[in-house]
Amino acid sequence: MTIFFCQRIDADQDAHRRPLEKELGSRIRFFPLPCSGRIEPLHLLRALEAGADKVYVVTCLEGDCRYGEGNMRARKRLAYAQGLIEEIGLAKDCLELIHVPAGTTTIDKLVKELLARKAFAGPVPQAAPGQARHQRQL
Amino acid sequence: MITAERKPLSEIKEMIAPYRKILVVGCGTCVAECAAGGEKEVGLLASALRMDAQRAGRDLDIKEVTLDRQCVYEFIDQLTEFIEQYDAVLSLGCGAGVQAVAEVFPKAIVVPALNTTFVGETKEAGLWVEKCRGCGDCKLGFFAAVCPITSCAKGLFNGPCGGSQDGRCEVDSDTPCAWQLIITRLEESGRLDCLKKVHPAADWSKQQGRGPRRITRDDQRI
Amino acid sequence: MKGESRLKKVLQEGSFAVTAECGPPKGADPRVIEKKGKMLKGFVDSVNVTDNQTGVVRLSSLAACVLLLHGGLDPILQMVTRDRNRIALQSDILGASALGIRNILCLSGDHQSFGNQPQAKGVFDIDSMQLIQLVRQMRDAGVILGGEKLTEPPDLYVGAVENPFADPLSYRVLRLEKKVAAGAEFIQTQCIYNLVRFKEWMEQVRDRGIHEKISILGGITPLKSARMAAYMSDQVAGMDIPDEIIKRMKSVPTDKQRAEGIRIAVETIQALKGMKSVRGVHIMAIEWEEVVPQLVEAAGLTSRPEV
Repeated sequence: MTIFFCQRIDADQDAHRRPLEKELGSRIRFFPLPCSGRIEPLHLLRALEAGADKVYVVTCLEGDCRYGEGNMRARKRLAYAQGLIEEIGLAKDCLELIHVPAGTTTIDKLVKELLARKAFAGPVPQAAPGQARHQRQL
Repeated sequence: MITAERKPLSEIKEMIAPYRKILVVGCGTCVAECAAGGEKEVGLLASALRMDAQRAGRDLDIKEVTLDRQCVYEFIDQLTEFIEQYDAVLSLGCGAGVQAVAEVFPKAIVVPALNTTFVGETKEAGLWVEKCRGCGDCKLGFFAAVCPITSCAKGLFNGPCGGSQDGRCEVDSDTPCAWQLIITRLEESGRLDCLKKVHPAADWSKQQGRGPRRITRDDQRI
Repeated sequence: MKGESRLKKVLQEGSFAVTAECGPPKGADPRVIEKKGKMLKGFVDSVNVTDNQTGVVRLSSLAACVLLLHGGLDPILQMVTRDRNRIALQSDILGASALGIRNILCLSGDHQSFGNQPQAKGVFDIDSMQLIQLVRQMRDAGVILGGEKLTEPPDLYVGAVENPFADPLSYRVLRLEKKVAAGAEFIQTQCIYNLVRFKEWMEQVRDRGIHEKISILGGITPLKSARMAAYMSDQVAGMDIPDEIIKRMKSVPTDKQRAEGIRIAVETIQALKGMKSVRGVHIMAIEWEEVVPQLVEAAGLTSRPEV
């Protein structure tokens, strides 16, 4: 899982994500952003190419972006990227946008919720013999 | 600028299907401006092609390069040192760029990733509108800087037609009626009299040429 | 040159002219045209044949005009600039005249995207204004575009169209003036439902003295149904159908709507007859040519002048 998120969601995100990064290692990548509007379709495709099977873009509520329309741009760019991945047969929900009111949760709490959403109990360990990596559909 | 749009991925895939090592070349001028073939778009296309190949269990090796201008030899030459290592070149240049590359490297297989469309302006972010048809005989001075050939669906020089309604073109209601605009501008600048005389038929030979047109300037040649 | 334009003679002697439109078939059967011609003969002075109207492929206007000629009618060749370049247009002008056609109506034509061949190249080498000027130049100066002399000039009475109800409204009268300056000799207007607006337009026309330089024929299209009225009002650019007319059509049961449409058309024709600077009426009963004799009779116009 790769997660791009607006830093306003959790003022202490730096401290909160370190334990999760330790626990999950390469199975999670965090990208804190000054605003979700910083996201570009290229970042999303590169994240998938690097091996993520789910990419989240977490934005503030619509109308609440401190820069005005940053989260609206994020939504449009994510939609564009979804079109591109559908062209190669990937389900568009490999990329998902979620709105979170700023300061109502912490980044590690959020990620744990998102992980719990997944169909399987957890990511398939790479070393497991005879097991193919599944494409998780949510 | 010259505008273009990326071809559907299925079409691009079909063109590069026989090849394993692809050089994807973008252009930093016109097609970058219309978000079709610049560095970002090269990255997006390359990423999509690589993921697609990986999912299909195919081998695909891509190098991404973006030239400042793909229609000028001096920039195309930058490809010389490594182009031979690649089976094919997927160009994100406009039609001129694709062909220029093919001319500099006649042995290379060069295919287009874009459909080149028109000469236009960036009206606003994300909106490009056709403005010029390259008629070779610019008449904008007669028509209050509104091109009747490009902006009037019927190319009338003595418009409007009977279908102009509320300043909209009858062919496409999203399109403003060029003649409404011409008349409004001339009226506002007190020049409506300019339209009294019948504007004569155009010399289309300047647009058609006898095959591809050319411009030569001796003072610019070596 | 053999034969003369009946329309020209009727207008020149000051009679109120009646012209009608004839739509060619989407096929090669000449009998369709012959039948329509027979139906209209004696009720009208001249008959327009449309030129692939709306960009839909139909039997050519030129061929249909010849068929009407053989039937003893005075055809008006409609010529659009959408489909042919100047070489073909000038050639067809010569051909039409050689075959005995004596009237031509110059138009730009509906855009090809509306028809059944939207992938066709729209030519638009010249526009309707330039075509009017061209026919006059071929006829009166005996030269083609560029100045080369013709061995025999064509003999054609030159007409054009104008739409008093299209935008920009303020420019429509000036555009009519321009067509007169280009050489148009008669005008057929877009169909009239809004008499108030038409009268206003005619007033402006009279103020500028245009009515004396060109013969204006008011366009009439009888409404077949309330649905047709609503459709035309909403979907056809440059059409002005007042609410009262639509209400009137709706107020009558469906099986009586045709009769009401005819009644409205007759009233409009009577109004045009009463306007001194309107020199005639042009009835465009699209695919309803049978109604023309009825309209002409009801409007008291059946005695066509002897010319």
